[in-house]
Amino acid sequence: MSKLIQKKKVGAPILTNKEDENFYEALKLYDQLQHKKALKLVTASLKKNSNHAACLALKGCLNYQLGNKSEAEAPILKAIGKEPRNHYVNHLAGMYYKLIDNYEEAAKWMKAAVDNGSPNTGIIRDLAYVQTQIRDYKNLVVTRQQFLEKQPGYRANWTSVAVAHHMNGDHQQAYTTLQKIEDIIREHLNEGDRYEQSECILYKIQLIGESGLVEKALDQLEKDEREIKDKLAFLEMKGRYLLMLNRKKEASVVYRQLLKRNPDNVQFYILLETSLESASKPVEIRLKLFDKLASFYPKSDPPKFVPLLFLPASHPEFKSRVREYLLSQLKRGFPATFVNLKPLYKNLAKRAIIFDIVNEFHNLELSQFDPTVAVWTKFFLAQHYLYVNDLEKAEESINEAIEHTPTLVELYILKARIIKHKGDYELASAIMEEGRELDLQDRFINSKSTKYLLRANKVDQAIDTISLFTKLDKDAANGLKDLHVMQANWVLVESAEAYVRIYKNYVKQLQALEAKDEHEEGDKNIEEEKEEILENIDMYMGLALKRYNAIVKNFKIFFQDQYDFHSYCPRRGTPRDYVETLKWEDKIHTTPIYIRVIKGLSGIMFEIYDDQVRKHNAQLKELLEEEDTKSKKKSNGKKKLKSPKSQLIKKKSKLVPLVELEKDDQDPFGSKALSDLQNNANGKIMDILLELAKTVSDEDPMLKTPWEIVINVYLNEGKYVLALQAIRSLEKVMTRRGSAKSRLVGEYVLKLDESINKDTQINSAIAQVVSKSIIAAFPEFTKDAPDAFLAIYCQ
Amino acid sequence: MRDPISLDDLTSNNLGTFKKINTSSLPVKYPESWYKDSLNKDQIISLGYYRELPVAGIKLKTISTQHNINCFETGIQQQLNSKILPNAVYIESFAVLKPYRHLGIGSKLLDFAIEKTKQHFVHEITAHVHVDNHEALDWYLKHGFQKDENVLKDYFKQQGLPNPDAYIIRMKV
Repeated sequence: MSKLIQKKKVGAPILTNKEDENFYEALKLYDQLQHKKALKLVTASLKKNSNHAACLALKGCLNYQLGNKSEAEAPILKAIGKEPRNHYVNHLAGMYYKLIDNYEEAAKWMKAAVDNGSPNTGIIRDLAYVQTQIRDYKNLVVTRQQFLEKQPGYRANWTSVAVAHHMNGDHQQAYTTLQKIEDIIREHLNEGDRYEQSECILYKIQLIGESGLVEKALDQLEKDEREIKDKLAFLEMKGRYLLMLNRKKEASVVYRQLLKRNPDNVQFYILLETSLESASKPVEIRLKLFDKLASFYPKSDPPKFVPLLFLPASHPEFKSRVREYLLSQLKRGFPATFVNLKPLYKNLAKRAIIFDIVNEFHNLELSQFDPTVAVWTKFFLAQHYLYVNDLEKAEESINEAIEHTPTLVELYILKARIIKHKGDYELASAIMEEGRELDLQDRFINSKSTKYLLRANKVDQAIDTISLFTKLDKDAANGLKDLHVMQANWVLVESAEAYVRIYKNYVKQLQALEAKDEHEEGDKNIEEEKEEILENIDMYMGLALKRYNAIVKNFKIFFQDQYDFHSYCPRRGTPRDYVETLKWEDKIHTTPIYIRVIKGLSGIMFEIYDDQVRKHNAQLKELLEEEDTKSKKKSNGKKKLKSPKSQLIKKKSKLVPLVELEKDDQDPFGSKALSDLQNNANGKIMDILLELAKTVSDEDPMLKTPWEIVINVYLNEGKYVLALQAIRSLEKVMTRRGSAKSRLVGEYVLKLDESINKDTQINSAIAQVVSKSIIAAFPEFTKDAPDAFLAIYCQ
Repeated sequence: MRDPISLDDLTSNNLGTFKKINTSSLPVKYPESWYKDSLNKDQIISLGYYRELPVAGIKLKTISTQHNINCFETGIQQQLNSKILPNAVYIESFAVLKPYRHLGIGSKLLDFAIEKTKQHFVHEITAHVHVDNHEALDWYLKHGFQKDENVLKDYFKQQGLPNPDAYIIRMKV
């Protein structure tokens, strides 16, 4: 963060009064992190002149820094109101909004500071970081350029301008900038600058290539070869450009060079084939090629494996080669033999051949080898049976293996997986535990065991298990806090899903009890039991919500964390990686785990919303009925709790240390988060949900889950036109996935139609418009024949 | 080729492995406390590995041949009368997983036992073998042990083995 006062004072301010003097003094103290002293000065000034805007703004920042966060924004807003063109006020406001991660506002005020004549160059740089953070590339170009003009002596500033142009889509300008500084700096490079030089050159060439001038890119690459340190990148780019230019023979030379460097990279083999155009030639020719390569690189896997991919199962060579390939691995006791072969399993004929080979080997030849070969072979067979979903046989094989060598951890992992597929999560988890106890320092099975415990809804035991590998603070009950610090999202998401299953089980119990209650009206025990179940439902729902929210927060942090790279990467001279990082950050919410989170959260939120609607309707009904009778009335759904039993409170207080995610967690059970949602005005929940889903669909519109959430939100809100649009977006996703008339889409169309029919408040003109649009979008749809429609939308 | 057999120490982390080897290859049951005590510093234990897989284990202790060990439960007790100076090493448990026998793993562990015996300045290794366990008895005899004339009556009685008598076997080192 830029210092507010610059060392070289350009035209020191003429101090006109005591307050200004105090303000500059306080600024100095602020820069020196002497926050308390600064606040004293500012307060004194404000006593004399409560309208001193700069002092007010500084007070806001100081309040924030000193932990008084709730009283930070008000003085700043007041200051802005009084003197919106004071660059000190602007600067402080910008800094404040940066501190609270509100980058839009930060950018706005920092820009104002620059525009209002702040002599501070640091603010320009800060503005650039903030603009990058909010991806305002158009303005970023201006800002980076401005800063370059102030400090043209650093290469980093030139690179930054180039990156800004690049991200703004102007490759030409980016290239020109890079070329300019390269020409200027060439004569003055030290040995230490060589790597930066190399990276900048590669970046420049990449830009040329990306703008479609492949030939020019290749020329430049060859011209600059001597300056390029990253030889791998050099060769990969060269090969790619040659292929793009259809100069395949030269490309093949490059790929042979790359193979020499790393003969284990299967990609190089494939690209070599592309450049030799051998893939379209008879298999005999390809075999010859790979046999030759195998003789060059006898220790590498790809030249042996790739032929198994392209040889047809019927080819006489296939059987002998696959036999040699897999038996040599089994005999050497490769745990991963099956995994290595799995790519061949998509081909049924190959699958059958492989099985026959292993089965025959297992039945006839095992005695010739040492006992470990037997156990790995049985292990392979069990994996085979699991793959083809013959769970009985799989279990039989893995039991034989365990009987043979009961001390091999891998066997228990596989057996647990088989049992899991049979649907018995409890037993699966017990078996995983049995394996884990063989070697407590095996981190892999520890994680597996944790996951399986969570699948069996044993959350506390799971956290205890993984806590063997977390940092344990003194007197911490478990490692949960550390798991949050380490952002172990997979544990959090599995925990959240476990909590959801637990509360759903309680809901089922409640329903069973309510069914019973019909017959035994007013039984006291049942009432108490019900109350306890309700309490449990709320508790586990809250916990699920809390774990999900923790992951959402982690993703916010992932996004915020890039901030430091806006200064670090240009300085280190790594623009290629920096650009890649930016692009990656633009899509982080499409990570599968985040999709699971929004799916889980939407489940909870829709439920709360339905509950609210139910409650609302029940209240209406009650109001109407109250006129008739004043007898006791039971409302539908969950009722508000009476004061919870003291026992329950006690039980919960014992649980606190086990579930809190930071020390002195204010809301260890997420019950506040839950009741906030529950007591929210109806629409608000849907807004939160919509925003979560939109974040993901904006980053990648080709994902299914976000659209499903969006559809349901709009249906709940009665926004049918928007719902239809979302259904069409979902249709695009499903079509891309190969199901043009997807059942899922069909069902949503019917649901939309049904919602319109049920809606008593809908404007009939709108209803007609939407109905027409449905038919326009889905011509097969007719109102009276939903089954016929689904018969078409059936994929 | 590298020797496929190797030995390694017992730690709190692989105690479960040691237990698994014993429970799946021996007919007798060792109590939980016995395994727990295996981690004490004064214990003489080694695990045997074949091609990186743990497949065998041996646990020894020093005793005096004057100790009156008349049943399995006494034999594996942690505290034998310590006033009597030890003059032998006693094999409390010795197991190799069935498919891994006759590969030389047991011999390696016996070498380990002999070395440990010498380090303790005693000159005898002794053990009890169930009378029906011909495989074990043959193995011990082949490796230089000798069995006493008399059979120890009912040594394995509480373990519920049929024919619960035991041979006492010894080897001078």
